[in-house]
Amino acid sequence: MRLRQFTFSLFIALILIAAAQTISAQALDISSGGQPTITGAVGGSVTGSALVTDDLLVTVNFGEVSPLNTNSIVKVIVPIALRSNQPYQIAVSVSGLNNGNPQALQAADIGFGLQNIRKLGGAGQDCNQSTHIIRSPFNNDPALNAIVGGTGRVTYSSSLANISGSTIILSGPVLSKNNSIKRQQSDGYVFDAIFTLTPQFFSAGVSSVTLIFSIAPGPNVPC
Amino acid sequence: MPRTTFIRSLLLTTLLVVSAVTCLGQSTTGTVTMSATVSKFVEINSGGAVTLTGNSGGGVTTDGVTNSPLAVAINLGELGPSNTNSFVTAQVPLKLRSNAAYVLSMAATVTSSGTTASRITAADVGFGLGTVSRTGLGVNSGSDTNATSGDPTLAANGSVNGTTGRYEFTAVRSNLSAFSSATTALSGPIIMNAVPRSNANGLTVPAFFAVKPQFFENGTTTISVTFTVTAP
Repeated sequence: MRLRQFTFSLFIALILIAAAQTISAQALDISSGGQPTITGAVGGSVTGSALVTDDLLVTVNFGEVSPLNTNSIVKVIVPIALRSNQPYQIAVSVSGLNNGNPQALQAADIGFGLQNIRKLGGAGQDCNQSTHIIRSPFNNDPALNAIVGGTGRVTYSSSLANISGSTIILSGPVLSKNNSIKRQQSDGYVFDAIFTLTPQFFSAGVSSVTLIFSIAPGPNVPC
Repeated sequence: MPRTTFIRSLLLTTLLVVSAVTCLGQSTTGTVTMSATVSKFVEINSGGAVTLTGNSGGGVTTDGVTNSPLAVAINLGELGPSNTNSFVTAQVPLKLRSNAAYVLSMAATVTSSGTTASRITAADVGFGLGTVSRTGLGVNSGSDTNATSGDPTLAANGSVNGTTGRYEFTAVRSNLSAFSSATTALSGPIIMNAVPRSNANGLTVPAFFAVKPQFFENGTTTISVTFTVTAP
């Protein structure tokens, strides 16, 4: 192949790649939805980007959750932004919490719920034929639904124990109006993922858990 | 511009565009990592009101209040022969809670205005822990080890010394002379299951203090006792 032909072919290929990426831009996207917050913690913290154009990468330290923490509950709110040009669904998976002692921290001890779905930056696709649906049992603020169960241990309407494998927690119609090639400050939706932990007489130790949120094409609902 | 230069420039521009688009790419996943710490926790509080029996005069100056910090003051009253009761006994309820194995230790000091061997000493103050109770929602069942001999007024725990005639608390750790420094009185496994602090249950145990009225040297005596619970 002559050099000129090769160069021309490469040029066409790059044009097609660029076009394809543009066309598929913002097909499905999940990112930070703003600054995460924590309340009721003793020695705890939460770190994550306040920029909605940054990746969702949040580290939560609930701090001390023995009775040394005399607050009634530790609550963390993580805003998560979503963008799509098609119907979507959000799934979450959990790994890493494997305490064998039933009196140690368990998945059921971390309340988990979704609330406050709103437009990202005040702009997003308005759909009047479908709504964004928080899947059962996650449509609640676990801090408002913490009760003492029959064993004396605090329980929640929904918790990490309700997550099995990759569990769908939210779905809905197209999220974005524009088909931007990059993350915008607006034009999408954001929701609050709420995590709670009530200080109790847990067996001593340090526990950690990782949640992975993912967005994928969802049920084909009209906008 | 020569044709080859134009093509190369276009090619470079296209490469940059492709690169830029790639850099602006979105993500379909996000990660939230969480951690929490549970430290060992132990506490001792009052298990309720003090019971004082066999006293002549005296009384409970500062009573215990359930689930409040333990800080009771007791006037045992007259301990000379004018008190004809067999013992003056104070029963102080204790409440312990923990999320780990615990050790309850005690240290006591006894000071008397007397100057002779007949003054009240630490050995004249009987001590023991009674029956341990682990009951209520959220309390872990477990077997505790009582290092004392229980109620010091039990016949098995003391008697009149055949040589001196003085009544003595003779059983293991049955008087305050065994607690001149912090000494274990009770130990056991984790007390509470995973329940919130607002759960008011716990391990309760009565602490008995007893003095046998005798011909002690007259004067006043002060007994100070400190309980400490730890999670080794």
